[in-house]
Amino acid sequence: MEEAVVVAGKAIGAGLAMVGALGGGIGIGLAVGGAVQGMARNPDHTGTIQTNMILGVAFAEAVAIYALVVSLIILFVLS
Amino acid sequence: MTLNWSGKRRWIALVLVLASLVVMFNWPPVVPVIQLPGEIYPAGEVFGLPITNTFVGSMVVWIVILLLIRVVSGRRPRDGGEVPRGGFYNFFEMAFEGLYGFIGGIAPERYLGPIFKMFMTIFILVLLSNWLHLIPGIDSIGFLHPHVHKVEGHYELLDGFDLATLGGVHYLNGQCPWVSPEAVATMSDEALQARADAGCLSGIPAAEAADDHADEAADDDHGEEIDYHHLEPGDPAVPWVILPYVRVPSTDLNMTLAFALIAVVMIQVMGFRALGISYLTKFFNFSTLFKSPLGGIDVAVGLLELIGEMAKILSFAFRLLGSMFAGSILLFVISFLLPVIAPWPVFLLEFFVGLIQAIVFGLLTAIFMSLATVSHHHDEEHHEEAAAGAH
Amino acid sequence: MEALGINLGYLLIQIIAFIVIYVLLTRFVYDPLIAVLRDRRTRIQRGLEDAEKAANARMNAEAEAEKVLQQARNEAQGIVDEARGRGEEVAQQVQQDARAEAETIRNDARLAAQAERDAQLAGLRGQVAAISIAVAQQLIGASLDDTRQQALINDFFAKVPDSARTLSGDVTVVSAMPLDDAEQQKVQEEIGADSVAFEVDPSILGGLIVRSADQVVDGSVRSGLGEMSQHLG
Repeated sequence: MEEAVVVAGKAIGAGLAMVGALGGGIGIGLAVGGAVQGMARNPDHTGTIQTNMILGVAFAEAVAIYALVVSLIILFVLS
Repeated sequence: MTLNWSGKRRWIALVLVLASLVVMFNWPPVVPVIQLPGEIYPAGEVFGLPITNTFVGSMVVWIVILLLIRVVSGRRPRDGGEVPRGGFYNFFEMAFEGLYGFIGGIAPERYLGPIFKMFMTIFILVLLSNWLHLIPGIDSIGFLHPHVHKVEGHYELLDGFDLATLGGVHYLNGQCPWVSPEAVATMSDEALQARADAGCLSGIPAAEAADDHADEAADDDHGEEIDYHHLEPGDPAVPWVILPYVRVPSTDLNMTLAFALIAVVMIQVMGFRALGISYLTKFFNFSTLFKSPLGGIDVAVGLLELIGEMAKILSFAFRLLGSMFAGSILLFVISFLLPVIAPWPVFLLEFFVGLIQAIVFGLLTAIFMSLATVSHHHDEEHHEEAAAGAH
Repeated sequence: MEALGINLGYLLIQIIAFIVIYVLLTRFVYDPLIAVLRDRRTRIQRGLEDAEKAANARMNAEAEAEKVLQQARNEAQGIVDEARGRGEEVAQQVQQDARAEAETIRNDARLAAQAERDAQLAGLRGQVAAISIAVAQQLIGASLDDTRQQALINDFFAKVPDSARTLSGDVTVVSAMPLDDAEQQKVQEEIGADSVAFEVDPSILGGLIVRSADQVVDGSVRSGLGEMSQHLG
């Protein structure tokens, strides 16, 4: 019984931690959307825009991945 | 090599799909043990280090890189020859030239050499590590290992599976969750019969000889220790799990943290190389402290930059680890739930995720190195630098 | 830390392996490949320059060829012109020669015709004299001394007018009948001119017309008849 409570707590905690991925998803969407608009209006600067987009996406993605790591640690590392 | 699907290849694919269906129903797959640290080989320690399967994966990557070096330097055109020297070499050279131009658009001309070499080394190492879990068998074929956990001086049994035997080879039977001998005693006859029909070993009433042993083991749980590392395979007294021979090295924090440390240290080295000791003013900026009413903010910003450098280490390490570890788990779970067709798109996804993570790791390093070569506090110096770069 | 699997030994091994791989890749892959790429770029650059040079050279060669061709064409034109000129010259020469020959032939023919006529007239003269004497005898009814008659007739035909004796230089004497050599001799002596040319013109009927460069002395019967008719008229 006690073990079941622990497992349930872990699962709930991991799920709540993954809520953090929301922000990352929104951020990546905004960044890529803006970059695509910029590329469409200004195709000559596609290379520069792409580089900066990847940089920004990586930063936004990092937040989501932190959430993922926290949730994985809750699931598989906490004992 | 051209892909030709009009011939007998599609029949080969169909046969493989049917074969995987047969395997799925007769020997269902099991979820491998999911744990963050690399699983330790039973063989023991080398020079005080327990061998982990992620380290074995790293060694596979290093060997592949040595082969790559051998092939590329062997096929490289000498004495200005331009005759193509084989498909792989040409492909590698094309990719190399493309990435060289790509980094050339980011890095300042003066430091293009070291920045590109850093980028390329990280890219190759991370890419090969990430792509390792696309190879069948890696992450899924391994030792059978008794699943025990040492808590406060004694072993506790964890969830695992029964073993089955086919032609002298033991394998995990996915249809048989392991039950302890005490639990078997309380099970109904129908449940026991169902287990026997499924071919499960533990808890079968017929296995009297094993039963005594199991009782002993159960008694010993609270008294003397069982030698869990020298159990005969197939012993129904303990649950068994698969310990993969090779695991993707980028799911091990040791590798990603090592790369992150190298990247951040090289960023600082590049900053000192380009700006000299004045690079430190990026972090300890006291020049405006007593001249400007906002001088204190500059000091705080510098300290934040310092913290940011520390955060870069964690960011680099956990970005790669997180996406690769999650990808591995995704592959385990999809392969466990529906092993026939469902994993194919996931493999494709993992192919791209591995490529993108490798590019992001290398590209972020290259961008931070490029940014470290320009001074933010002295704009006139910046312009001089840019002008020098333009010439 | 142990739960995350971080192990200082593995961390160091990974860092060392990274450095070793960095060095190996730099030594055996990056530096040679970057050199290959740079070589290739310079070679392509040089190839483009060479191609440009070759194109220039070809353009120059074409211009040169055009020039040579033009020169050859000019020379050919000159040769043709010269040939044509020479041909025309030759043709003109031939024409001239032919004309001259025709002229001489015509002259010869004319001279021959003149001589023939003179000869005939000379033959005629005797008959005319005889006829005129016979006509005169009949008219006057008296026979004349033959010798006097002859002298009279000779006088009629070859009498040099008195005023002609003052003439000098080149003189042309026109007679109605051809004069024989003795008469010509006598006329020349009487005029006293340096050279005397003799012409025959039967239309003057008798007497002589003496022409010098600037003077004409008309002692012909025709002019005498003309004056007489004027006086009579």
